[in-house]
Amino acid sequence: MKLTRRNFLAWAGLSAAGAVACEGFGIREGEFDLQSPVRLPEDLVKGQDNWYATLCRNCPSGEGIVVRVMDGRAKKVEGNPLYPVNLGKHSAASEAGLQALYHPHRIARPLQRNGPRGQGEYVQLAWPDALDILRQQLQERGNSTLMVTEPLRGHLGTLVSRFAESVGGRHLGFETLDENTYKSAVKNLFGQDLLPDFDLGNTRFLLSFGADFLSTWVSPTRWSVGYGEFRHGGENERGTLYQVDSRFSMTAASADKWLPIRPGWEGHLALSLAYVIIEENLQPTGVDVGTLTGGKGAAALEQFQPETIADRVFMAEHLRGPDGVQATRSLAREFAGRTPALAIGGGSAGAHSNGLFNLEAIYALNYLVGSVGAEGGLRFNPGSPLEGVPSGSQAGSLSDWTEVAQDLNSGKTRLLLLHQADPVHGLPGSLRFRQALTEPSDLFIVSFSPFLDETSALADLILPDRVYLEDWGDDVPEPGPGHQVVGFQQPVVNPLYEIEPRSFPDILLTMSQELGKESELPWPRYQDLLREGSDELFALNRGSIQASSADEFWNKLLQRGGWWDEGVTGARNLTAPNDLLGRIAAKAAGPRVSASGGSGETFYLTPFAHNTLLDGRNAHLPWLQGAPDPLTTITWQTWAEISDRDAKRLNIREGDVLLVESAAGSIRVLAYPTPAAPPGTVSIPLGQGRNQGSEYATDRPGWESANVMDVLEPRQVEGSGSLAWASTRVRISKAGDSVKVAKFEGVVRAVEVGILPGERIIQTIAPHDL
Amino acid sequence: MLALTLVGSGVAVIVGFVVVVLLISWFSNPPFALGNAPAQPVAFPHSVHVAEQGIQCEFCHRNVTKGEAATVPAVEQCLFCHQEIVGDTEAQQVEIVKISDSLMLDEPINWERVHRLPDHVRFVHEAHVRYLTQIDASDRTSEEKVQAACSICHGDVANATVVQPKPFQSMKMGTCLDCHRFLTLVPEDEGYVLPETTDIPTDCTICHK
Repeated sequence: MKLTRRNFLAWAGLSAAGAVACEGFGIREGEFDLQSPVRLPEDLVKGQDNWYATLCRNCPSGEGIVVRVMDGRAKKVEGNPLYPVNLGKHSAASEAGLQALYHPHRIARPLQRNGPRGQGEYVQLAWPDALDILRQQLQERGNSTLMVTEPLRGHLGTLVSRFAESVGGRHLGFETLDENTYKSAVKNLFGQDLLPDFDLGNTRFLLSFGADFLSTWVSPTRWSVGYGEFRHGGENERGTLYQVDSRFSMTAASADKWLPIRPGWEGHLALSLAYVIIEENLQPTGVDVGTLTGGKGAAALEQFQPETIADRVFMAEHLRGPDGVQATRSLAREFAGRTPALAIGGGSAGAHSNGLFNLEAIYALNYLVGSVGAEGGLRFNPGSPLEGVPSGSQAGSLSDWTEVAQDLNSGKTRLLLLHQADPVHGLPGSLRFRQALTEPSDLFIVSFSPFLDETSALADLILPDRVYLEDWGDDVPEPGPGHQVVGFQQPVVNPLYEIEPRSFPDILLTMSQELGKESELPWPRYQDLLREGSDELFALNRGSIQASSADEFWNKLLQRGGWWDEGVTGARNLTAPNDLLGRIAAKAAGPRVSASGGSGETFYLTPFAHNTLLDGRNAHLPWLQGAPDPLTTITWQTWAEISDRDAKRLNIREGDVLLVESAAGSIRVLAYPTPAAPPGTVSIPLGQGRNQGSEYATDRPGWESANVMDVLEPRQVEGSGSLAWASTRVRISKAGDSVKVAKFEGVVRAVEVGILPGERIIQTIAPHDL
Repeated sequence: MLALTLVGSGVAVIVGFVVVVLLISWFSNPPFALGNAPAQPVAFPHSVHVAEQGIQCEFCHRNVTKGEAATVPAVEQCLFCHQEIVGDTEAQQVEIVKISDSLMLDEPINWERVHRLPDHVRFVHEAHVRYLTQIDASDRTSEEKVQAACSICHGDVANATVVQPKPFQSMKMGTCLDCHRFLTLVPEDEGYVLPETTDIPTDCTICHK
C-alpha cells in the first residue's frame, strides 16, 4: 500500500487510539501492591476487650483479680479493686498466671507411665481410657487412698474431703512452709481458729519478728496495701516499723530499724520487752497486768530481764553488753509508748524447735499494749458464711508427713492422688519421701497436675487439670480482712485448641457418680456446687450484693468476683487468760540446733521463701524466674547470702560455688557476700533445684539451682509438729568453681551518698538528728 | 479501495483490541489462577504459621471479622514474635531480617496481591465470615470456624508454603451469584448446615458500586 499523507495520518490516529485504549484497560502499575504498614494502627487491635473478675491461685493468699480478655484470649491480669483482700493491688505471681495459661510445657492430655517409675516414659491416653483406669484403681484401692492437695479452702476443700471419705481414704493438705505453728499460737493465745488480719493502716508502731510480711509471709499483697497506709496514710502520723530478724529480708530493708537476732531467740526478746513494760509500768491504761501475770507483776518474767538475755539474743556487736540492755529497754519504751502498737511474728521466728514458744511470746505482747481485737492491732476474722465450708485450710505437719511416709512404705497407703502438691520437692530430703514413693511395689500414683514436677514425674497416671484462668472455684480467704468474704473464681477463657485438660473437681464428681457415691456428692458439675453456694449467700439477704433473684445474684457475684459483708466481723477486745505471760514463760526454751556435718565453717542456716517462686510452686514460670530478688537482684539462680566479714575470712567471692553441708545432706550454691548478712548466718532461698518438668525450672546445673530442703534436718517444732526449717546448722566450704551471678545489680557496690565533699548537697541524717 | 482498506484495517484492529481486553480481563481475575503465584518480597510460609504454630487467620488479618478488607498485618505485629524467633536456618533468618529491617528503616513491605476483585466490586469480608460461621454446625472453636470460612474461597492457605488462588476457583460474577443463590462453594460434608432456601441478596447494588 502506497504511503500517502492521508494513509499515514489514518494509521497514526488508529495506533494512538489503540494505545490509549489498551493502556486504559491494562493493569496499572502498583495495582497489585498490598502494603503492610510498619506500625500497628491502634484501631486495628482485634476484638473487643472484656474484663472478668476471678481469683488468683498462684498466690496462697488468693488475690482477687480482673483479667482482660480479647476474642477468647486472656491478655492481662490486674488486681480487682473491689475485692477486700487486696483492694486492686496484685503480686507478680498473679501477673504470671497468663504464663501458666499459655505455658508451652503444659501437659496436653492424659499420660500413662510406660517404663520404670520416675524415668519420665509416658504414653498418651484418651480421656475415657484414663478415667477408666482411675475408676478401676479407686474400686480396687479406695480404702487405702490418700489425697494430697494444696491446703484447700472454699467448696473445693469440702468436695475433696467428702470424696476422700466416700472412697474410704483420707485427705491431707501439703505446704512446704506450713503455718501450723502460727495457727497453734493464735489458737492458744486468742482462742481463734482462723488467722487474724492486721490493721496496719491504723498502727503507729509495728514490731515484726521474722515475718517477711511485705514479701512472702501469709498475705503480702494485703499487708503491702496496709503498709502503704501505715507509712503515708491520710492525716495519720507516719508509722514506725522495727524488724527483728536473723536475715536482712525485704521487710527488714523497709524497716526504720533492723535488729539482727540470734536465730531462735525471738521469744526471749519478746518476754524481755514484756518484762520492761511491766517493770516500768509502760502499758496503756486499761491493760490488766495483774491478770496477765497471775498477780506476780514483773516478777513473773524475772528470768527475762534485759541484763540477763541481751547478750544471748542479739547478734550485732554494737548490741552486746550494756548497749544491748539499753537497746532492749528503749525498744520496749517505744513499743509501749506509741500506741496503737502491734507485734507480729512468723517465718523463721516460728521455725525452730521452740517456735511455738517464740510466737506465743511475741503475740502476747499485744495484750500488754491493748492491741488484741482493737483498732490498729490484731483484727480477728469471723467464720465462713457458707454452711459446711471451712474458712481456714489445713496442712499436714512434719509429723503427719513422717506418718504418711511410713504408711507408704508399709503398704497401708496404696493409692495416692496428688493435686497442686509436690511433697518430693517440698519435704526435707532426709525424710526420704522420694524413696517412699518409688520403693513400694504395690503403689499407684495419680497426679492431677497440669505441669510435670518432682512428684508428678513419679506418677502412674497424669490427668492434667485446667489452670485457674480456665476453671471454676471459690475461696474463703485466710486471713480475711476482718469481715466475711467469699471470693468466686470463674473461667475467663477456654483451654487452647491443642490441649485437653479437665477440671479436677469435675473428675472427682464424675468418679463419684460412676462409683455410685451420688448420695455423698450429688452434683453433676463443680459449677453446680458453686451455684448452690451462691444461692446460699443469696438466701442470707445481706452483704455487698443486692439482687431480686438468685440468677441476678449469681451474675453480680461473678461480675464483682465475690461477696462480702462488712457488718459481720470477728471477735473484738478479747481479754487475756489469767497468768498468760507466766504460762508462756514456763515453756521457755532455747532453740535446739543440730551439730552440722562435713568439714568447714559452721553457720546458722536461714532458708527463706523466694520472693516470686515462693516454695518452688512457681518455678516453671519464666517471668517469675526472671523477676529479680528485691535485695540481691539475682535471677534464675540459687544463692547463699553470707556476711562480707565471713566471706573475707574464708576467701569467698561472689559467684564462688559453695558446698553447703549438714548432717542431712549437701547442696552447692553460689556465694553472695553482702554487708547485710549477720556474721555466722547463711541464708538460702527455696524454690529452685527442680529436676523434673519445665525447662524453665530445670535447665541449669546443680550449683546454680539447688533445693535447700535437701540439707534440712527433719526436726519438729515442739507443740505443733511442723518442720523447724530454720534450725539446721551447716558447714560451708568452697567447691572450687566460680561462675557469674545472674543479677541486675552492678559489680560496684552501692555506697552511701552524701559523705564526700562533692556530695554535700545530698546528706543522710539519722532520724534522731532531725 | 483506500476506504475499504481503511475500514478493514480498522475492524481488524478493533476486533484484536476487544480480544486482547477480554483475555486480559479473564486471566486477571484472579490473575494467578494458572498456578504462577506472584513473587513476594518476603517468603512468608503460611504453612509454618498456621498449620504448625496454630495461629488463627484473624490474628494477622485483623479486620477480616470486622470490616471490608481483611488487611495484612503491620510489620510491628510480625515482630511481636519475631523479636525472639529469629529462625533456625539461614534461609529463614534472611527472611526474618527483612521484617526487622522494615521496622528499623520505617519502610513498609509491599506484598503482591494474590486475590483481586475489580474496582467496581464491593466485597465485605466481615459479612461473608459472619454468615459462614453461623451456618457452621461443627464442633470447631470460633477461631477454627473463621479459618474454615476463609478456606472456602481462598483454599487451603493454612498448608500453603506459597499462597496461590484456590485451584479451579474462578472469582467471576457467576461464581458469586451461584453461591449467593445455592451456596455452591460451601462444602456441606464439612459441618455446614445449608438452609433449604437462601435469603442472600443478589441485587446488583449489593456487590456493584
